[in-house]
Amino acid sequence: MSDTAAAHEAPTSTGIDHKKLIMWLFLASDCMFFGTLISTHLLYRKLFPAGFTDAEGHQRFIQNLFNVELTSFSTFILLMSSFLMALAVSAMHKGQIKSFRRNVLGVIFFGLIFLGCQVYEFTHFYHEGLTIQNSVLGSTFYVLTGTHGTHVAIGVLWLIMMYFYSFTGKLGGHMGALDVEIAGLYWHFVDIVWIIIFTAVYLVEYLGPNGIWGTGLPVVAK
Amino acid sequence: MSSSHEAAPSQDFLAEEVRRYHHFIVLALWLAVVTGAEIVLIFLPIPVAAILTILTLMSAGKFFAVILWFMHLIYDKRLLFWCFFAGLALAFATYAAMIMLFSVDRIDTRWFS
Repeated sequence: MSDTAAAHEAPTSTGIDHKKLIMWLFLASDCMFFGTLISTHLLYRKLFPAGFTDAEGHQRFIQNLFNVELTSFSTFILLMSSFLMALAVSAMHKGQIKSFRRNVLGVIFFGLIFLGCQVYEFTHFYHEGLTIQNSVLGSTFYVLTGTHGTHVAIGVLWLIMMYFYSFTGKLGGHMGALDVEIAGLYWHFVDIVWIIIFTAVYLVEYLGPNGIWGTGLPVVAK
Repeated sequence: MSSSHEAAPSQDFLAEEVRRYHHFIVLALWLAVVTGAEIVLIFLPIPVAAILTILTLMSAGKFFAVILWFMHLIYDKRLLFWCFFAGLALAFATYAAMIMLFSVDRIDTRWFS
């Protein structure tokens, strides 16, 4: 821990602000929550590699459905929103409220773009025949990415409220910076979860000619 | 929510914040480059096991870079790191346990269909 951090040590038995400690404990529990969802998705992908059957009865493979360009764009957007969030927290620590507002607006904007991409992706998948009910893949995929999307939406709402709250003049000083830092922790967490989802759910589908899980079809000897 | 009648931040604290600011910029660029490299990597004609290993290392690197710098864990008390690490360890343990329980070579998936 640096000297400057020690200078801002909270008057608690742990030396950590209670709000911050609670937030980290919440994030640890959320880690377990997402760990379970990601594990479930990966295991069912391995057990049922065949993909899904669309409304016309055709067997479809997820490899042909994913759009790596769109998902990469979403990932880039979320990473950059995390960067802006770090700048917003830094600005609050320095007492630069205008800089904070600018950066938070950027985070909100990027968060909304990410959500827009997810809505587009879900709509596209639905029209292609992948629903939450018609396959194990659909169930685990929508539940996992939908839960993450809900977290992003909650983060966006939180930051919108914080943005407007900053105009009341009550979001200042060390406690104001702490409130922003806690919102930032949540936002960064959403970002790190997506880092894992991007690799474990999306990128692995492109490995090899039929993705890492295969197609589920019997291998024909040549 | 907060009180605004507090002392202005010290010069040392401001200098530290400026130093972190530069770290954040470098890290953001690094994250963008690694993400780009991941996308290129999946299309390279090299063995799947090698790609998977590199992808795992890259995403683990990005994951820890964000929690250490953007989430300030490197600047904060160690207790916070261990609190978070406990959740992370349990998440990985869950995955490892499920992999063992549902070993794909032994399970009969006809049960589910």
